[in-house]
Amino acid sequence: MAASTDEAKENADSLFNEIQRKITEAFDIFDHESNKTVDVREIGTIVRSLGCCPTEGELQDMLHEIEEEENTGYIRFEKFLPMMTKILMERRYKPSPEDILLKAFQVLDVEMKGYLTREELEKYMTEEGEPFTQDELEEMLSSAIDPDKGTILYKDYVSELTVDEQ
Amino acid sequence: MGCSLSLKTPKPKNVELSRTERKIIAAILIQKWYRMYVARLEARRRYTWTIFQSIEYSGEQDQLKLHNFFNSMINQLSLDVNGQPKIARAFASTQRPHVIAKETSDVIGSLDDIHIESTYTGPHLTLPITHAQVKTLIQAFKAKQRLHVRYLLELLNAARKLLQQQKNINYASTSISKQITVCGDLHGKLEDLYMIFHKNGLPSVDNPFVFNGDFVDRGPSSIEVATILLACFLASPNEVFLNRGNHEDHVMNLRYGFIKEIIKKYKNNAVKVTNAFSEVFSWLPLATVIDNKVLVVHGGISDHVSMKSLARLDRHKYISVLRPPTITEVGGLDSMSMELQRLEEWKQVLDLLWSDPKSHMGCNPNTFRGGGCYFGPDVTDSFLEEHKFQLLIRSHECKPEGFEYNHNGKVLTIFSASNYYDIGSNKGAYIKLSGPDLQIHIVQFLANECSGVRKLTFTQRISCLEASAMQDLREKILALKSDLLEEFKKHDTEEKGTITIGDWCSAMETVMDVDVPWRMLRSKLVKLNSDKQVIYDTTFEQLQILHRYSENGDSVMELLYRYKDSLETIFRIFDKDNSGYISMTEFQEACSILIRHTSVSLLPGQIKDVAKSLDLNKDGQIDFNEFLEAFRIVDQRGLDYTADHLREADSEEEFDNIDTISLASCNSGMGLKRSVEPSILCSA
Repeated sequence: MAASTDEAKENADSLFNEIQRKITEAFDIFDHESNKTVDVREIGTIVRSLGCCPTEGELQDMLHEIEEEENTGYIRFEKFLPMMTKILMERRYKPSPEDILLKAFQVLDVEMKGYLTREELEKYMTEEGEPFTQDELEEMLSSAIDPDKGTILYKDYVSELTVDEQ
Repeated sequence: MGCSLSLKTPKPKNVELSRTERKIIAAILIQKWYRMYVARLEARRRYTWTIFQSIEYSGEQDQLKLHNFFNSMINQLSLDVNGQPKIARAFASTQRPHVIAKETSDVIGSLDDIHIESTYTGPHLTLPITHAQVKTLIQAFKAKQRLHVRYLLELLNAARKLLQQQKNINYASTSISKQITVCGDLHGKLEDLYMIFHKNGLPSVDNPFVFNGDFVDRGPSSIEVATILLACFLASPNEVFLNRGNHEDHVMNLRYGFIKEIIKKYKNNAVKVTNAFSEVFSWLPLATVIDNKVLVVHGGISDHVSMKSLARLDRHKYISVLRPPTITEVGGLDSMSMELQRLEEWKQVLDLLWSDPKSHMGCNPNTFRGGGCYFGPDVTDSFLEEHKFQLLIRSHECKPEGFEYNHNGKVLTIFSASNYYDIGSNKGAYIKLSGPDLQIHIVQFLANECSGVRKLTFTQRISCLEASAMQDLREKILALKSDLLEEFKKHDTEEKGTITIGDWCSAMETVMDVDVPWRMLRSKLVKLNSDKQVIYDTTFEQLQILHRYSENGDSVMELLYRYKDSLETIFRIFDKDNSGYISMTEFQEACSILIRHTSVSLLPGQIKDVAKSLDLNKDGQIDFNEFLEAFRIVDQRGLDYTADHLREADSEEEFDNIDTISLASCNSGMGLKRSVEPSILCSA
């Protein structure tokens, strides 16, 4: 009994350590000056590259939690690490599965055509929810539009978006 | 509508979401998914960059380590009269014969025996070089013509004579031109130089240029780039300022391709051309000061550097900056202090050409590159203040955008070779300083921007780059296979063939000399079993290093492969007549040098066996180019894994077709990956 509790504790410790190392690596590739700080605008990229899928609103909440009192424009690693560790240990902001994402596209495809036109996608992505910037929109359209048909075959596109790294 | 969206948003039961609400929720879901997708791509782009850079710097580190080793050997040999005279002679080529050089006005000898054949169709030059001749040269190189060796040597000779009259520090003024352009590393990439001239015009009285070193090595057209720059300098000596870079150095050229290019393009006259270039390089000024406001140097500064002593030293002493000048005089009371002064001067030159800025305060040895230093913002501040400069412009480091500011905007890095690591890896840039206050304007470019080929999407571009970086990384991993296996087995006490992810990562960190995010790359490098344990054998994907002409065991070939670049440097030092051949004894000596330097375990008998098997026609000579190119990485089916990586072999022809080739090599790279491990490309 005691042995297995020890083992469980050991596993939890090693999981904790691994998660912290993973966060460190992700932080470091964005830390240009190697001084354990990153630009505040890159935090979203780091959080998401670690497999989390927060909304912009949720991301803002995270930022409030860790930003400096004076507006330095930088986030320090020592503040980021404990917050991010907690998120990953608790498995928060896990992306929803592929079929849910597909369903989301189907909701937007009111006529059930099986595809979205460029105009439809553009309208929803810039007018609803947490709107895309012009850059985000163009980048999305460039990869989402089928070069032959000129429309968004969202079933294919969903599988491109959801290929899992792990 | 049939489909309901089961999001975890709290919603009152029994109340159907309105269509509008459902659309908003759907849009948010897609948006956050897309933002995560883009973030992952961005992370891939960043670590790809980290891989390229880390591999580049670990090569430089090897080179410098080897060089320190050479130094101690030379010193040892000069004391030991019964030592191996052969090695001493080979090293003599990197030692400045400066006593002789000063007396003979011409190190390359007479040109009278080199005639222009009547069949020669390339460009003709007559000294002095004019602007019209610069244009002729540019046109000729565009048409892939080669400059006749006689013209080349005449041009180099003229350039050396003019450079000899220059001071260590150039002083440029914009009082007439009202503006000046500063370019960074070009590394033998002619298309980038042409792009700069296309956008910015050729050098003239109204259009002065500073070229901040690293004209040669790595790229396929180092001779052409250096020739055009020197021709520009000869045509406008008061408007073209050339700074020496860390690659304007004979020993660097041995390893990074310039010497190889010379041998390929000027076979019979390669020795003369090499010597002439080395001479020119050793006379290049070390820095340029613009309007007494801006200092332009290749690498950077250190707390040792002072403009005063830089102005005084004899720059010509350093045919290779990698080693301190040797002492020729023996004894004498002041020899000790003279030697100290020499070392002090040498260190300054090394720091100027090799240093990088960092955000840490003070000056620290540059452990990443192995030479020069890291200088902090305090070093920059006090240096600029002391000399009343406003800005330090330097190059030396590839940057994704072609430029980067550091130290509160007081240090500006400029790098002009676009697509440096691979197509799409980075932009090139140059700086225009204009007006009385030298206002900074940065121009970015990509050398082969306007292509008729279908534009790649962001995802495709990153996949291409990533595939190419991963291949470089895999080769490094394979070269350390036995060391890695040993390390893995330390963690696998029960011999299960598996270890934890954490253990795998720490083994990679311990053994590999590149600093990359192993946890992020893990899923692309190894397979896990159902218990999420790493099956560590899959690190090598059943690939192995083979050598076409040698059947020696895995470990011997692995070692030779690992040190292939260092071996090439040693071979080229031995090969004094640039014949491409060295004797069996020299081959064995080169290997023993390596063994002593790297403390690898390889028995003399094993080296002898390799040497024998490489002597194909049994005449006691080894064609080392062939030896070096005969390494192959194959999978267990014997399929060649290296094939598409040799795409640079025919770099000459690459020029015009660069767009199509880039796409083709991308595709083949991707195809290759797919055949090895399908998950690599599909992952996003």
